[in-house]
Amino acid sequence: MSARPTRQTPLRLHRELAALWDTPAGWRRLSAVNHTVLGKRFILAAFFFFAVGGLLAMLIRVQLATSSTAFVGPEAYGQIFTMHGTVMMFLFAIPMFEGFAIYLLPKLLGARDLAFPRLTAYGFWCYIFGASILLLAMVAGVAPDSGWFMYTPLSSSTYSPGINADVWLLGITFVEISALSAAIEITVSVLKVRAPGMSLARMPIMAWYLLVTALMMLFGFPPLILGSILLELERAADLPFFDPLRGGDSLLWQHLFWLFGHPEVYIIFLPAAGAISMMIPTFARHELIGYRAIIVALIAMAFLSFGLWVHHMFTVGIPHLALAFFSAASGLVAIPTAVQIFAWIATLAAGRPRFDVPMLYLGGFFFIFVIGGLTGVMLAMVPFNWQAHDTHFVVAHLHYVLVGGFVFPMMAAAYYWLPHFTGRRAEHRLSKPAFWAIFLGFNLTFFHMHLTGLRGMPRRVDTYPVEARLDWLNLLSSVGSFVMIIGFALFVIDLVVQMRFGQRFRRNPWAARTLEWAMPTPPTSYAFASLPHITERGDRLAPDAEGARLAGGHGYLGFTRNGWMETLGVDMTSGRPDQLIVLPRQSFLPLWSGLLTAAFVLCLLAKLYWLSLFAFAAIVVSLLAWTGGTGARQDTGALPIGKGASARPHWETATPPSWWAMVLACAAEATLFSSLLFGGLFLWLVAPAWPPPQPAMPDPLLAAACLVLMLLAALLGRDAVRALTRGGPPALRLALCAGAHGGAALLFALMAASVPVPTTHAHNATALVLFALCGLRAGFGALLAGYGLWRERAGYLSPVRSLDLRIGRIWHDYAAATGIVGIGAAFVFAWLASSAGAAP
Amino acid sequence: MRPRSILLLGAGFTIWASAFVALYAMLSVGCRFGWHEVALEGAGGLSLQRLQLVAIFLVHLAAGVALVALLRRWKDRGFLYPLAYVAAIAALSASVFSFGAVFFLSTCA
Repeated sequence: MSARPTRQTPLRLHRELAALWDTPAGWRRLSAVNHTVLGKRFILAAFFFFAVGGLLAMLIRVQLATSSTAFVGPEAYGQIFTMHGTVMMFLFAIPMFEGFAIYLLPKLLGARDLAFPRLTAYGFWCYIFGASILLLAMVAGVAPDSGWFMYTPLSSSTYSPGINADVWLLGITFVEISALSAAIEITVSVLKVRAPGMSLARMPIMAWYLLVTALMMLFGFPPLILGSILLELERAADLPFFDPLRGGDSLLWQHLFWLFGHPEVYIIFLPAAGAISMMIPTFARHELIGYRAIIVALIAMAFLSFGLWVHHMFTVGIPHLALAFFSAASGLVAIPTAVQIFAWIATLAAGRPRFDVPMLYLGGFFFIFVIGGLTGVMLAMVPFNWQAHDTHFVVAHLHYVLVGGFVFPMMAAAYYWLPHFTGRRAEHRLSKPAFWAIFLGFNLTFFHMHLTGLRGMPRRVDTYPVEARLDWLNLLSSVGSFVMIIGFALFVIDLVVQMRFGQRFRRNPWAARTLEWAMPTPPTSYAFASLPHITERGDRLAPDAEGARLAGGHGYLGFTRNGWMETLGVDMTSGRPDQLIVLPRQSFLPLWSGLLTAAFVLCLLAKLYWLSLFAFAAIVVSLLAWTGGTGARQDTGALPIGKGASARPHWETATPPSWWAMVLACAAEATLFSSLLFGGLFLWLVAPAWPPPQPAMPDPLLAAACLVLMLLAALLGRDAVRALTRGGPPALRLALCAGAHGGAALLFALMAASVPVPTTHAHNATALVLFALCGLRAGFGALLAGYGLWRERAGYLSPVRSLDLRIGRIWHDYAAATGIVGIGAAFVFAWLASSAGAAP
Repeated sequence: MRPRSILLLGAGFTIWASAFVALYAMLSVGCRFGWHEVALEGAGGLSLQRLQLVAIFLVHLAAGVALVALLRRWKDRGFLYPLAYVAAIAALSASVFSFGAVFFLSTCA
């Protein structure tokens, strides 16, 4: 292992870095873990699904063109509109943002890649395989047909007995693995993987946007994942969480769905707003005004957006005062949105704006999004909401928000960053007619839906009576949609023309002042030949001069050593370099893990539950295989990183990216667990058919033994770390820790098995899932302790290389804390379910 | 500046979120158990429902005010503290706007 690198000539440095970082050719492309490659693949795949969703939209508009159209029947129409919404939300918008972030983020932060390249690849395969399941189901005529928000009881097995709803629940949960991976990846990368000197105060504004968005995903997706698991359990195992005859309630689904669903709107909007905050200063030739105000606005939006979900449920019978809470929060969220819009206007006003095609598309964004925002404020008001609920007015509003707030900025971003992807400038001959066709077509399509909605046309219907006198408005909408699709076709042709025939340029065609332009375009796989030292805010840089300097190897890490793919980790707030991050090389393992995850989902879909257990075990083994070759078998100490500085490799530091990833994974799991506790309390309070005939009171002896074992496992996990860092052997403690976790898992299984007939009542079903979840956590704790044992035996641990055990310790502590809460909740639920705690 | 100071950015709105969850949950419990129909003699005829909601709101309001007062001392220090201070003021204002209705709106109609 060489610690002393030598400086190279720029060309030789390029060749050596490319040999390490480039994705191999041929079938080995499938082993790609590089952010540039995977970012492009995400974007291309998302764009393909945008086309699919658009095609489905055309079918909807054909059907609704007149009251007498007999294009498709109600059953096919149900599949079409469900898949349109599902594809656009889950397979286009979120993955498009993910691809955009994956491609751009390291380049903005002055890093060579994201924190977890193989997780990026795994997320990509989960997205592709999950999306393929949905598309194949559509081709086979068994696509989901209960609406993109899958309301129960329509989506329950009583009214949807086929596999259509299962395809949605399992396919979308599969895709959500991708979203959660991206959330952890982006959060950790923004916080830890930046160029030296890039403190939080110097981060480009886009990094703040992506950080906030990723955190929202981390807390927004788990409620839906839980909801999907519960609904699938109801459909597959008859556990009645949403069945009002057996103590369930269909409103629980709505709560869990919209707890995700409304933040989702902001999860989609914020990255696009980040792109706007990057583009406007470039074209205004003035730095962004209100940088700090925008950060505060982002924080406000992130929180407020989690307090609005009930405005989708204003008509279901919520207590009067609660309507006021949700209505107020729904109106309030317009303020931080307006802060951003005024900051952009102020930047334009203060600068010397120059007009170019991205600005044309941003003009479209301003017009459309502001209308969508205003109709949003209308819908936030309860009396109006009651009138417009479930009508085409809402359809118009959501399209104005999402197309205005995401699609238009993303088209502007495509024109802005495509030269970065391709190294070619646009001719822009088709971009203007494309814009006007999309802009006019969009308004023609959706503005009229405000009117049809106000005249009472409901959503999700395949026809309407001629007496309603809605034919002309609907026909205009349909004509508008075809004008819009012509615009999108022109947009695609324009992009292809630019990619093929655009004029080549050397660097930074827009004279931007952010770091992604301080590199050759199209970018090399390693992004920066050497890493910059940042001394200014991220949008006040000089990429042209900096790019040449970095390409010459004059920054940090301007060399290669040991065949390592290296980038730097920094202190979260100050940006001081505190670790050398050694990234994993290209690998087929993420593909294998993705394929095994697909096999697991398909087994569940085919109701081959025993086989699915083998697939699950295979997934765990494949994920453990990722760790082979990571870390080192000897202490390395601080290594030179260039510019006279040195840093320890990440496995010898206190808080490397993987440590933070475990913290965030626990936070996401805690959100899912809290959602389950909320569900248990909600059903007790609201659902009919309570109390249950036989409450699920846990055996106190089993529960006490379980508590002791969970606490013991946590203490042993901590003691193992202590022993290792003091130079002692942790093996026995780890073995005991694994044993304690295993024992706790067994006791949780026994408590789950003792729940009285879980199919009889939602309370019993909740208790079953509660114990199962706690048991799974304990099982995973045993696995982590066993893994630590194996790492110790294999020589990867030492007093300074204790990372594997410290990551395990986080989980052991978390499992104990949530195990205690879980057992406590089981007793509380049982007491509430008894006559003593029953609601009147 | 310690890494955990980044958490201060969300401190104000965490109090707002806590108030939201507590008020919504206890409002629902109160409506289910009929606390809005339980008049308290010693509290000027206020209903049990109103009293508990106002108490929850005031506790969170006090926490928000305390946070703003705390951050005010550091509002000129570095990058994160001034942002946390402004965010805390925004959250406090949001709390008054979102939950001020506990004083006068009917609760369970």
